[in-house]
Amino acid sequence: MPAFSKNAAPALRRTSREDEPEAQRHSQHLRQLLLISFSWLLALLIGAGVDALLAVRRLDRASQEVSRRFTVRNHALGTIVISVRYYDDQLERFLLQDQLQESGPDPAEVTNKIAAVRAALLDYPPDGDPDEQLLLAAMQQQLQEQETSCAIVLAWRSDLRQKRAYQFIGQQLIPWRTRIFELSAQISSQEERRLAVENLTVATRFQSLESRLVWLVSLSLVAGVLMSLVCGWYILRLERQARLRYEALARSRLELEGLSARLVEAQEEERRNISRELHDEVGQSLGALLVEVGQLGKLVPPEDRATQAQIVQIKSVAESAVKSIRDIALLLRPPMLDDLGLVPALEWQAREISRRSDMEVEVHSENVSETLSDETKVTVYRLVQEALNNAATHASAKNARVTIAQNSDKITVKISDDGQGFDPGRQRGMGILGMEERVRRLGGTLTIASAPGKGATVEAELPLHKADSP
Amino acid sequence: MRKTRILLADDHKLIRGGLRLLVEQQTDLTVVGEANDGRETVSLAKSLKPDVVVMDIGMPNLNGIEAALQITEAHPEISIVMLSMHSDESYVLRALKAGAKGYLLKDSAESDLIKAVHAVADGKSFFSPAVSKVLLDDYVRKLKRSGAEDAYDLLTPREREILQLVAEGKSNKDVANLLNLSVYTVETHRSNIMEKLHLRGIPELILFAVRRGIIS
Repeated sequence: MPAFSKNAAPALRRTSREDEPEAQRHSQHLRQLLLISFSWLLALLIGAGVDALLAVRRLDRASQEVSRRFTVRNHALGTIVISVRYYDDQLERFLLQDQLQESGPDPAEVTNKIAAVRAALLDYPPDGDPDEQLLLAAMQQQLQEQETSCAIVLAWRSDLRQKRAYQFIGQQLIPWRTRIFELSAQISSQEERRLAVENLTVATRFQSLESRLVWLVSLSLVAGVLMSLVCGWYILRLERQARLRYEALARSRLELEGLSARLVEAQEEERRNISRELHDEVGQSLGALLVEVGQLGKLVPPEDRATQAQIVQIKSVAESAVKSIRDIALLLRPPMLDDLGLVPALEWQAREISRRSDMEVEVHSENVSETLSDETKVTVYRLVQEALNNAATHASAKNARVTIAQNSDKITVKISDDGQGFDPGRQRGMGILGMEERVRRLGGTLTIASAPGKGATVEAELPLHKADSP
Repeated sequence: MRKTRILLADDHKLIRGGLRLLVEQQTDLTVVGEANDGRETVSLAKSLKPDVVVMDIGMPNLNGIEAALQITEAHPEISIVMLSMHSDESYVLRALKAGAKGYLLKDSAESDLIKAVHAVADGKSFFSPAVSKVLLDDYVRKLKRSGAEDAYDLLTPREREILQLVAEGKSNKDVANLLNLSVYTVETHRSNIMEKLHLRGIPELILFAVRRGIIS
């Protein structure tokens, strides 16, 4: 037996037994690490997304607020300016109604207009900054003054009006109006400045959001790349491990196959040797002994009954020894294979089993050449022997049939019986394993068809080699 | 009287010695040579031209069957007694096909060798009684298990007579003379026998005869 079969198997077992828990722990740690890293990466991505979404929404709201505030103030300011213009207009028309010779508005109407101006001023949002408040206060004060002087003017009668109208308009009304418009222009420009400032704030915030996003995305990217690298490395490592394991498995299977093939060979060789030894040495010596004892029997006078009886006794012992040795030798390696060829040997075997058991065996052969290689002959012979023995001893078959046929490139052997049968998927004894091994060694195929209660059919196809050609 | 000349062939010296001892006790027999394997047997048979070759069936360098074939092909007048451990019909049939006239089991060599040598020297066949018994047992068991009838019962008395004569080695002409029949009639009987018994060739016919104890 080659040395490697002794050494390789324990070495293999040692690596797999001692390294496995450590490797398992290691890969478990790695898996946990990967899981945590993936969770972090995912959390980072989700966090960045949600944060960006919220920031954008906040910015949008702020920007809307800014423009709404501006629009509201702008509108209020416009209303103030327009109402001032209406009021001025009405007051002018009231004062100049005599010069223009048309009926002017009612004083009440003018008072209404000034009330409208007051209302417009009150409508202006009061939540402005101090500068705006000051300007508004100034405006209110102007209005206050105007209202006071207006009340006096409205009480003027026609002649007074004619006399003083231009003066009042020129000295009071126009400067007042100009002042109001100046104030309103100041507020407006203040508002515009403020809008610009707020827009700048929004823009700045947007920029900061942008940079934060860039940062988060870069971070995620780096983390993702790192994770991919780790995963890639891990996968490569797993692949390498799997490959190594597969190779080890394939190698050990190959070794096992080689081993069992050699086992079959060695078994056959050993049987042949023992059989030859038994037959040649022990059997022949006993045969010679029988002849000698026969001779002795003739030399002893027939009257010497005791000695004659002894000789008969010796002869019968020797004969039974010869018989058992022959039976053992036959089972080990039937000389029929060498003396007669395959088919007569199979026929002999069939009869031998028929004699020993309750099963009748028939052998049919077609075109079987007499020059089959020793390996093929032995394989077929052992297959038939095993199958018939199984049929007779385990399946209690009553009839069995062996068919052996040869064509140009293969030899087919079929052994079927009418016994109890079995489930070939589940029951696979050493006998069947041995058959499979023998057939596989010659590159053939073995099929076993059976079911409980349905008998069994063993069929083997063996390719023929050059040595087998007829 | 001329002694019957015998060639002994066995690859075991012990056996050859025992056989020689048996033969040389007979005054009318003499051993002219001993061969150790099949090839030597063939060449000695050709050079010594013995009357009888007593030969082990399983020998190295050309087994007994092959050796017998070669000897009977070159010298059909030489009679062969096959020595064997096996009483199975595969062996008996092969030996018969190879031209052997006698088939002797090694266990019974001591008691039967001389009878066998005398028988074949006279042109008769000889089979160890144990062989006939095994052949008959196999045959009867098979008939019983398969439920078939014994083909021998289908033979007419005349056919049985002819079967025996043919199995004993008589030619068609001899049989015709003995039974006062025409050669043509004998031939017809013979082919009827072969057909009824499903036999192919004289060796199978002899085997059948041995099995039924028609000849020994």
